[in-house]
Amino acid sequence: MPKITIDGKTLEVAKGTSVLEAAQLLGVYIPRYCYHPKLSVSGNCRMCLVEVEKAPKLLTACSTEAADGMVVRTDSDKVKTARRDVLEFLLINHPLDCPICDQAGECGLQDYYMDYSRAKSRFAAEDKVRRQKRRVLGPHLVLDNERCILCTRCVRFCSEVTKTSELDVMERADHSYIDLKEGRSLDNNYTLNIADICPVGAWTSRDFRFKSRVWFLKKAPVACLGCATGCLAEAHHNENVIYRLLPRPNAETNTWLCDRGRMTYKAVQAGDRLAKGVIKNGLIDLEPALREAATRIDEAKAAVGVLGSPWLSVEDNAALALLAAGMKTANFCFDFKFETGIADGILVNKDPSPNAAGAARVKAVRGGLELQAFAAKVASGEIKTVLAEARAAGLIKDALKTSGARLITFATNKGDIPAGAYATLPYASYFETAGTFVNYQGFERRLEPVVAAPEGVKPFWAVVNKLGAYSGVLLRLDSADDAMRGLEKK
Amino acid sequence: MISVKKVNNRPLNFLERIYLPEIVRGIAVTARHFFTNLLRPGNILTVRYPEQTIPLPGAANQRTRHRLKLRADGSPKCVACFMCQTACPAYCIHIEAAEYAENSVEKYPAVFDIDLSRCVVCGMCVEACPEDAIAMDTKEIPGGALTRRDMLLTKEDLLRNLPGEPSLLGASNRLANEYLEGKK
Amino acid sequence: MTPFLYAHQDLLLFAGVGLAKVIVFMGGVMTFAALLTLAERKVSALMQDRVGPNRASVFGFAFNGLFHPIADALKMIFKEDFVPAKAEKFLFTLAPFFAIAPVIALFAFIPFGDYVTVLGYRVDLQIADLPSALFFILALSGLAIYGTFLAGWSAKNNFALLGAMRGAAQMISYEVALGLTLVGLLMIYGTAGLQEMVRAQGALLLGFIPAWGVVLQPFACVLFLIAAIAENKRTPFDLVEGESEIIGYFMEYSSMRFAGFMFAEFLEMIVIAMLLTTLFFGGWQVPYLYEAGFTLPGGRAIPLDHYIVSALQVGSFTVKVVFFSWFMLIVRWTLPRFRFDQLMALCWKGLLPLALLNILATGAALLFLGKL
Repeated sequence: MPKITIDGKTLEVAKGTSVLEAAQLLGVYIPRYCYHPKLSVSGNCRMCLVEVEKAPKLLTACSTEAADGMVVRTDSDKVKTARRDVLEFLLINHPLDCPICDQAGECGLQDYYMDYSRAKSRFAAEDKVRRQKRRVLGPHLVLDNERCILCTRCVRFCSEVTKTSELDVMERADHSYIDLKEGRSLDNNYTLNIADICPVGAWTSRDFRFKSRVWFLKKAPVACLGCATGCLAEAHHNENVIYRLLPRPNAETNTWLCDRGRMTYKAVQAGDRLAKGVIKNGLIDLEPALREAATRIDEAKAAVGVLGSPWLSVEDNAALALLAAGMKTANFCFDFKFETGIADGILVNKDPSPNAAGAARVKAVRGGLELQAFAAKVASGEIKTVLAEARAAGLIKDALKTSGARLITFATNKGDIPAGAYATLPYASYFETAGTFVNYQGFERRLEPVVAAPEGVKPFWAVVNKLGAYSGVLLRLDSADDAMRGLEKK
Repeated sequence: MISVKKVNNRPLNFLERIYLPEIVRGIAVTARHFFTNLLRPGNILTVRYPEQTIPLPGAANQRTRHRLKLRADGSPKCVACFMCQTACPAYCIHIEAAEYAENSVEKYPAVFDIDLSRCVVCGMCVEACPEDAIAMDTKEIPGGALTRRDMLLTKEDLLRNLPGEPSLLGASNRLANEYLEGKK
Repeated sequence: MTPFLYAHQDLLLFAGVGLAKVIVFMGGVMTFAALLTLAERKVSALMQDRVGPNRASVFGFAFNGLFHPIADALKMIFKEDFVPAKAEKFLFTLAPFFAIAPVIALFAFIPFGDYVTVLGYRVDLQIADLPSALFFILALSGLAIYGTFLAGWSAKNNFALLGAMRGAAQMISYEVALGLTLVGLLMIYGTAGLQEMVRAQGALLLGFIPAWGVVLQPFACVLFLIAAIAENKRTPFDLVEGESEIIGYFMEYSSMRFAGFMFAEFLEMIVIAMLLTTLFFGGWQVPYLYEAGFTLPGGRAIPLDHYIVSALQVGSFTVKVVFFSWFMLIVRWTLPRFRFDQLMALCWKGLLPLALLNILATGAALLFLGKL
């Protein structure tokens, strides 16, 4: 085990640890552009130069392995000068269009310039190298070659993480630039991570482009509900509008976030967001819609089937279970058996729903039918009215079609409503209300509201509570957790 | 510990204590002003503002109503970088950015509103602007209005009645002007 | 002519003349009060080297602000007539009337001229010549306290109530001083009728000094002026209302109800100016002017027509009233406000003993010098 001394602090590290990682363990920050903990070491940006005793020249901390007895200084004048000079080189051809650059505010060049350089440029603006700006590459990204500092993080990401190798550095030396390989397009499912890892504004997101400046954004921890992987993410929002989702790297589940998962926030602000109830195809206010739905439920009495949903939180499934118990029907189902596991080797799960494991927790206590049995009962006409969340209703759509059973759904967006639904009740999405989800590994994701729901839209459990009240089942739910307490009692 | 300052005022004499002669003296002062101004209104200091203006003293001259400067082709120099909105202590600037389809500047303000009813005329937006796009040199003093809408300066208001002055200041504008040169 | 009209000819004539006097005199007073609201602001402006209100215009003509009283009235009329939910609605409505009615009633006893002979009929230039007018005036001005106190109490607002308490304390205290300052006059003139007092002031002292109240009772004159301003709650005694910082008894009032209080204050100012003129400054008397014309101290006489004499006398009365109104405006915009303890000390330790002393001195003088 090598013992290394950095700025007077000594630490014993595992063999193979780089000086930069050892410094990080000691709490000494070494600036870097090309180094990324999840990518291979490239050592081309020269920003992490440190002084090592007995070494004739400064060494790059990211590519120097910590050796026993090594004495490193990161704060000597030599290192400071080196950093300033490296920054001067990097900034020679930088266009300085920070006013129109989305990276401004979270840009490595801006930050390090303020921390380590603050020197005036000695190069005339006219002499700067000109490259192509604003190249739209792929469905999600824009590349600005002028801003690029050729750290090759994007190239390494594509070859090491997605293993698609679309990008490469073209030409040599002063003429180098990043480009797509011939005949390729940048359309894998992880391209937006490139915008994240780009330390400057060369790669920017088309979705986020010019929407907001980053310093206005507030960050809220969330989890991606795009599939059963349940990646931890961070919602960036301001004034009740979500602007983007970024990954929240963690050892258990994810470092990255897939493009589809990042776009899940769009449904919250989408134009087809439901704020009222729908009867057949006509929008009506929530109260009459609830009354109408309750009437249909009362008509069917014991022939009502309640279908839980792997797209709903544990609490909301529990609320549905309480409703089923209150209606004294045996026709309820919280059993969704999907094949789980990472489908593409990176993040995307075979199970497209985020909470099948959570629904199983409700099933463990409350029992109920299996999905197949439930679908069979619907198909046979034994269940005449089905109460189901919109996407869960899609799971039994064949059975619904054959029997023509009346479907009362809950949906956040108009686009989710399955064809032939009799009544639809709106509920608040999980960016707007709290809820617990369980991912395929069994980790609980507790979601807290990020933005406020549209006016009049209530959380799912509250809609269920009201629907119960209108059909004579008093659930007395005052919060999502009330549904859980009901669950524990039984 | 309260610090006490002892003031040794001259004790009032009898006439001052009965107060009436002092009242008469005070009234004499005010009455003198009254009659002077009644007979010779020239001494009155009031400026009847909208009809009558006087040159502003000192720094008040330097900050008047905002305007947005233009490029040689008549487009606003502003690139919607939001620096002014960020710097504004009164939260009176509202910008919405948009993208040029084909222009090396890429970004422009689709909406640029300044709410004069909130503006404190501090000039921080001018200081913050990296593109030299906003200025407060119109010599118009933001005054009263009959409706709130009249106090809202939109992009069109801010670009109105301005001397054309192409400028090379600001990085993005340098690009824009080069682009315009190339077009010629 | 019907028998009824014929039988009651005198009575009808009396009623007709009385009505005409009320309309002419009160019309003049009301106009003057309206102009006084403008004058208040104009005078203060000129004193402070400003121009004052000058914007209200009709068809673009502003006449330097002459239309402001009309604009104010229009604004007051169109403001929301608000009554607090917990207010005593009846008393809340009644209070402004209590404030303004006694003040208007006071004008009935003010003689604004001697008399004119119209078509051989003698018309006294006074609405009601009551022998006990002075007592009546004191009694009516005592009623004004009800307006103040009812307004503060009925609004059910603690601050308004506090304002009303201050007001009641102040007005009751100064009522005493006000009454006592006038006792000296009663002793000298031996009457409480105002017209008689004015006529008595037409006499000359030592052959050339007009026997005005101010000459006979200079002390009482000053005390009366102070007490009257305090009674009217104007600066420097305006801590009842304290429009710049303290919250006064009519804080819950808006619209024309508020205008009632405001107008009452201006009317009261005119009443004070008129009383001061009548009691201490000879009323409608012009020095050396008698019924037949001027008779100067040297014995030289300038005969004048009866109507010219009457016009001169009414004019003299008007000029004096305007002057004292202006004086009260100037006082208001010159002096700072008293503290409440100073206010009370001034009344009970200052004005009251001095008024009593004045009575004593007057009594002694009358005793030793004999009747005037």
